[in-house]
Amino acid sequence: MRKLSLIFLLALVGFLASPVNVLARTPSPTPTATASATPMAIPEATARPDITQKTEETLGPLEKLLEEQKLGPVWPLNPIKYAIRSAVDAGVPANTIVLLLLLPVVASVIAAARHIIGIRGFGIFLPAALAVTFVAIGPVVGIGLFLVIVTISMLVRFSLRRLKIKLQYLPRMALLLWWVAVSVLGILFSAPIINNSSLSNVSIFPVLVLILLAEDFSRVQLGKSAKIAVSLTTETLILALVSFIFLTLKPVHEFALLNPEILLGSLFIFNFLLGKYAGLRLMELWKFRKIISS
Amino acid sequence: MKLTSILGLNARTQLYSYKYNTFRGKKVADSKLRTSQVLKKAGIPSPEIYKKFKLPSDISEFNWEALPGSFALKPSRGLGGEGIIIVKKRANDGHDFITTQRERVTVEDLKLHVLDVLEGAYSMGNIPDAAFLQEYVGRHKAFRKYAYRGTPDIRIIIFNKVPVMAMLRLPTKESGGRANLHQGAIGVGVDIATGITTKAIWHGEQIRLKPGTNRKLHGIKIPDWTKILETAVSAQIASTMGYLGVDMVLHPEKGPMVLELNAQPGLQIQLANMSGLKKRVERVEDLEVRDAEHGVKIAKALFAVRFADRVKAEEGIKTINVWEKVKVISGNGHGVYVEAKVDTGAWKTSIDRDLAEKSGLLTKSNVLWTKLYKSSLGKEKRRVISLNFYLAGRKISTIANVANRVPLRTPLIIGRKDLKGFLVKAD
Repeated sequence: MRKLSLIFLLALVGFLASPVNVLARTPSPTPTATASATPMAIPEATARPDITQKTEETLGPLEKLLEEQKLGPVWPLNPIKYAIRSAVDAGVPANTIVLLLLLPVVASVIAAARHIIGIRGFGIFLPAALAVTFVAIGPVVGIGLFLVIVTISMLVRFSLRRLKIKLQYLPRMALLLWWVAVSVLGILFSAPIINNSSLSNVSIFPVLVLILLAEDFSRVQLGKSAKIAVSLTTETLILALVSFIFLTLKPVHEFALLNPEILLGSLFIFNFLLGKYAGLRLMELWKFRKIISS
Repeated sequence: MKLTSILGLNARTQLYSYKYNTFRGKKVADSKLRTSQVLKKAGIPSPEIYKKFKLPSDISEFNWEALPGSFALKPSRGLGGEGIIIVKKRANDGHDFITTQRERVTVEDLKLHVLDVLEGAYSMGNIPDAAFLQEYVGRHKAFRKYAYRGTPDIRIIIFNKVPVMAMLRLPTKESGGRANLHQGAIGVGVDIATGITTKAIWHGEQIRLKPGTNRKLHGIKIPDWTKILETAVSAQIASTMGYLGVDMVLHPEKGPMVLELNAQPGLQIQLANMSGLKKRVERVEDLEVRDAEHGVKIAKALFAVRFADRVKAEEGIKTINVWEKVKVISGNGHGVYVEAKVDTGAWKTSIDRDLAEKSGLLTKSNVLWTKLYKSSLGKEKRRVISLNFYLAGRKISTIANVANRVPLRTPLIIGRKDLKGFLVKAD
């Protein structure tokens, strides 16, 4: 009986976990598509339906670059280059391919920041997903929304705890989400007043990702002291911004598109070496400076 | 100190935690309930568990009125001391409880808290958890003046059955009774050989006095020190973990107990001791340690804090000759006078095999390990023993290697390692 319930529980957990993963993961390759579908179709009816503002700026040059590059034989050096060309010819946006290629770059940057510098951040997924969200809705609106959501969810948790309102766990979580949704709605309602185009262009998926991330984030942070919570938030935002810069730099885009084999190969080696690094981190040098100098 | 003496997070995880810790051991360390089971089976003292809550129905079936006056309510997989309610006594009305933080809680509060724990509110990744009621361990009188409304604990890092570093953790007003450094508790370094505190840190900075008072934090003698170390090592052996942090508490009546195990103990302990963990861990990595008693003996010989600086300040530098008569403490505690040569060309002290044998210093429990030595006499396997002797009136506790010194002038040479605070006259 116990075993049976365990299996059931496992299945339930798996079921619950998988859609979260899917939701959370989809925005990485597709925010461009979703972000574009709603906001772009209305103001510019002539625009291609599957391209964001972002893509429109960069698609032309990227495609042109592909055309200009002269390629040798397929094997052994150019298989991915040929694959990219045929995919782009078949209608896959070059921008999506670039973003996918850059995702491991971002992950490596975050890993290096942790193991060489010592910036903890919040895991590897959260800063990476934040960075992609920033690409979709812009860094200013992204950071603003993230901070608002984190603040609201922390405030609600804190006041529920302070006021000793006794609710069961899941209803309490639902109530929290209620507050977050209402406050994000409030921000969206204020769009006509602020009159910021990137705010009015926000679509549901980046917002949903932000809410999911902020949820996890504030839950873990609440257990720690305010000082650690603030430093963890700043470190995560710094990592996300650095990743965002990598995701939007034009030279990086061009390099990734034109030399995918070199990029992926060197990332593989880099991460392997990074995983074997057992020296002190830069921030540990600072932390233990008094022992070192003694 | 050299950079390579210090243990960083990368090295801890990769060279020690990953390499030496078993999957089963990690599961035991991560769950306080399983820790308790394993310890109980091995006969290692730990606070008693009154009741486990695994299903919501356990809450309604439990007779809450029968609760004892003091207890701790904890999640099995809580992180960083979160989700723990420690009740010290019943309130005057006989229904409610008073926590160590002098807050009032009702039975309804406790039930709701257990529900929260079962839903996974305090576990990593929100995984459903179990809760339990545990015996309350009060504050030992040795720590009464130093800890604020909470029970201090002693974190001991153990590697390869040898306790390599220890730290006393004192709760403060800020930490809310918790002995967690990140929550604002004080970390006090402890000399492994004697159990006397040395240096202290608070929020990563060195302090000398307990904040807000004139009370010195160094020089506190922790009672039952050897037993604390041996119990901690036994817990490590029982857990099958190679590299482990053991949190010990001192029960006022029942003595040392294991509170919890930590698969990835923090590294601030190095700041509290002003000493590098990596150097110590490397020192004991290849030793063959028989049991807890042996491991503690090795640790005491290897990691004793040299109070030479303080001795120097108090007594000044002593001048000695090249040839000195010293009193060696034999196996049964008596003093034996022998001629010794003070040899600044040697690092370690060396003792003659016959002398050591006769003095009862070559017993199994006194031999720490054997090592291959290179000297002017060629390569040779030598035993290393722990040795106490008096030189010019000062007691020196050290390690010495055992060699055949019959053809030489003295049965004992004293190396540089044990000559701190002395000046050697060459005539």
